Amino acid sequence: MTRRLACLLALLLCQMTAWAHKASDSYLVVDVKGGAVTAQWDIAVRDIDFALGLDRDGNAEITWGELRARQSDISAWALSRLELSRSGACPLTVTGLQVDDHTDGGYAVLHLSGVCPGATGALGMEYRLLFDLDKLHRGLLRLTLDGVTYTTVLSPTSGVVQFGAAQASRWVQFSQYLVEGVWHIWIGFDHILFLLSLLLPAVLVLHMRRWQGVSSFGTAARDVLWVVTSFTAAHSITLSLAALGLVSLPSRLVESAIAMSVMLAAANNLWPVVEHRRWLVAFGFGLIHGFGFASVLAELGLPADALVLSLLGFNAGVELGQLAIVAGFLPVAFYLRNTRFYLRGVFVLGSWLTMLVALIWLLERAFDLQLLSA
Amino acid sequence: MLLNCYQRSLCAGLVLCGTLLASPAHSAPRTPTDDATVIEKLPFRAGDSRARELDALRARARKAPGDTAAAAALAQAYFDMAQARGDPRYVGYADAVVSQFDKNMSADLLVLRGMLRQYRHAFDEALVDFAAVLAQDPERADAHAWRGAIYLVEAKYDQARQECAALLKLQRAVLHGGCTGMVQAYTGQLTAAYSTLQQALALARHDDQRLWLLTRLAEVSAWLGQNARAERHYRDALALGQDDGYLLAAWADFLLDNKRAADVVKLLAAWEASDPLLLRLAEAETLLQMPSAKVHTQALDDRFAAAKLRGDTTHRAEEARFQLRLRKNAAVAVQLATANYQVQKEPRDLRMLLEAALAARDSAAAQPARDWLQSTGFEDTHIRALAAQTLQLAPARKTPVVAP
Repeated sequence: MTRRLACLLALLLCQMTAWAHKASDSYLVVDVKGGAVTAQWDIAVRDIDFALGLDRDGNAEITWGELRARQSDISAWALSRLELSRSGACPLTVTGLQVDDHTDGGYAVLHLSGVCPGATGALGMEYRLLFDLDKLHRGLLRLTLDGVTYTTVLSPTSGVVQFGAAQASRWVQFSQYLVEGVWHIWIGFDHILFLLSLLLPAVLVLHMRRWQGVSSFGTAARDVLWVVTSFTAAHSITLSLAALGLVSLPSRLVESAIAMSVMLAAANNLWPVVEHRRWLVAFGFGLIHGFGFASVLAELGLPADALVLSLLGFNAGVELGQLAIVAGFLPVAFYLRNTRFYLRGVFVLGSWLTMLVALIWLLERAFDLQLLSA
Repeated sequence: MLLNCYQRSLCAGLVLCGTLLASPAHSAPRTPTDDATVIEKLPFRAGDSRARELDALRARARKAPGDTAAAAALAQAYFDMAQARGDPRYVGYADAVVSQFDKNMSADLLVLRGMLRQYRHAFDEALVDFAAVLAQDPERADAHAWRGAIYLVEAKYDQARQECAALLKLQRAVLHGGCTGMVQAYTGQLTAAYSTLQQALALARHDDQRLWLLTRLAEVSAWLGQNARAERHYRDALALGQDDGYLLAAWADFLLDNKRAADVVKLLAAWEASDPLLLRLAEAETLLQMPSAKVHTQALDDRFAAAKLRGDTTHRAEEARFQLRLRKNAAVAVQLATANYQVQKEPRDLRMLLEAALAARDSAAAQPARDWLQSTGFEDTHIRALAAQTLQLAPARKTPVVAP
C-alpha cells in the first residue's frame, strides 16, 4: 500500500514537472581557450520537436530512440543557428548527444567542439536558435573566454554579441587584478618578511644601545607610515617600469637581491646600522621588490588593451594586502612592546630566524639550489 | 545569488524526481541505455483535433507567406492556446508569426501584436499598436476594448472611460457594459458597477463574454461583502465548462479569503502547470499543513529562478505574493510588490502591496496604495482596513514619505 502510494506520488510529481509551463530557453555553456572551443548546449526537446518534428509514431512521447535517429538533422539545424568567430569563423561540430532535465522538461544535450583561426582577441557570437519560430525564446549563455567568465541572455534583439578584452567590464578587470595583487603579497613570504623586519623595530627605540618600547603609539605609527609608504612608492615605480617593458632584469638577480634585502633588514635589527632612516632602506630595497612583483604579473599576463588599469589594480591589491598586514601587526606589537616576549622572543629571535631563512633563500637563488622544500 | 538558486533547485530536483535540474552547471547529462526511454511528453498527439487544426493553419500560412489573413489566423490560434493552457511557448510562436510582417501590417495583425505586447506588460508599445489599428479602421471595437483594459490596469480611469464611450458609440453594448462596469468598480461605485455588469450579462450571447462578466460580477460582489452572491456568480461561471486561468485564480482567492483552503486543493489539484494557480494551491496546502506544500513551494521557487535567469519580470505580482505568504520574506515581498505596482495597479496589486508593507512594517511603501484609495474612493472594506493598519505603523511621521 505504502509502496503504491509512493509510486503514485512520484508519478504525480514527475508529471507535474513534465508539464510545468515556461517560455523556451536553451542553456549554452561555452569554453574558449585560445583557439580551442568546447561547448555544451541544452535545447528543449519540445522546441526541437516544434522546429523539426520528432514524434515519428505520433504518440506525443519523444523517446531516446526518436531523438537519436535525428541526431544529424538536429546537429545541422542547431549549428546553422550559432556562429562563433575569433579572427574569423570557428567551425563547430557536434561531438556527442545526451539528454538532461530542466524545470520544464526533457532537453537534448549537444556537446560541441571547434577551432578558431585566432587564439587572441575578441570572440564574436551570433545566436539565432528558434528566433524564427518563437520570439520569446532566449539563449542563456555562460561563456568562459581565456578564464574570464561572462553570462548573458541572448534574445532576438541581443543575439549578436562580442566578448573579450574590449567588452570586459573595466571594473571587473580591475578587481580581478586587485585580488591577484592581494593574493601575491599574502603568499609572497619574502615580501612579508622584509616588511616585518622593517616594522619590528617601529614600536621600539634604541636607548643606550638597548632597545626599549616607544612611549606613544603616534611615534610608532608615524614610523610605520614612513616605511610602508616608501616601500610602496619604490616597488610601484619598478613594478610599472618592468610591467610596461621599459626595464628588465634577470630574475635570478632580482630574486637573490630580494633575499639579500630580507637578510640585511633583519640583520639591521640585531646590529643596528640604520636606525632612524629605515624608510630609506625600505625605499632602496623596495625598488628590487618591485621587479619581483613584476615577474608574478608577467606570469598572469596583462591584457594588452587594459594594461595600465590592470597594473593599477594589481598594485592597489599589493597595497591593500600590505595594509592588512600592518593593521594586524601594529596594535599587537605596540601592546607587547615592553614585554620580554616581544623584546627577546619576537624581536631578537624573530630577526635571527628571518635572517637564517633569508640566507637560505639567498643561497638557493644565487646558486640555483634546493635547500628548503618548497 | 544565482548559484544559490541553482543549488536550491538542485535540492528540489533531488526531492522531486532525482533528475530535475535547473542549470547545466549542476546538471548531469546522461546517455539513456534504452531507445524506448521517454525523454519528453508533448502537449498533444499528432492526431489530436487541436493539433490537426494548428497544422492546417500552419500549412495555410506557409503556402502564402505574404498572406496577412492566414498569418493572423495562425497567430490568433496560438494566442488562444496560450490563454487556455497557460503555456507561454505559444505566445512566442504567435509573436514569431506576427513579427514576419514588420511593415504593411493589417489591422488584425496589429491587434495581435498589441495583445502580445500587453501580455509581456509592454503597455506603451501595445497602446501604439492599438492606436495604429484605429487609425486604419476607427470601427475596431476590439482595439478600444484592449485599450480600455490597459488603462484600467494602469489606473488611468479617465482614458479608460473614453474607450468605454467609444464602445458605446460603436453600439457594442456588452463590451461597453464590461468596460464601464470595471471603471465604476475601481472608482468607488461598486453598487453601480454591479448593475452595469449585470445589464451587460443580460445582453451577452457568447459563453466567453458571459464567463468574463460572471467572474467580474463575483469579484464586485465579494468587494461589497456579499459572499453568497459572489459564490453563486463564480459557480455559474465555472458551470460554463471553459478552462480559464483568471476565473480559477479569482475563485481560489475567494475561497482562500473565506478560509476554505481544502476546496482550493480540490479545485487546483490538476493545475500545477500554471504558475499563478500553483501559487494558490501551495498557499492552500500550507494552510492545511499538507506535505505537498513544501514540494510545491520549492517548485515555485525554481520557476521564479528560471524566469529571473531569462530576465523575465512579468511574474512580479505572483512572486511578491509567494515571498510574502509562502517564504514569509516580507522585505523582498515589499520590494517586488512596489516594483509590480509601478506597472500594474489593480485591486489585487494594491492589496499585495498593502499586505507586504504591513508585514514588513514599512508604512512608507504603502503610501502609493493609500494615495490610490484616496483618489479613487475604492470601496472594498478589507483593503481599506489594510490601508488603515499601514498608517498605524508609523504614528509620528516627521519626514516626507520616500519609497525605500
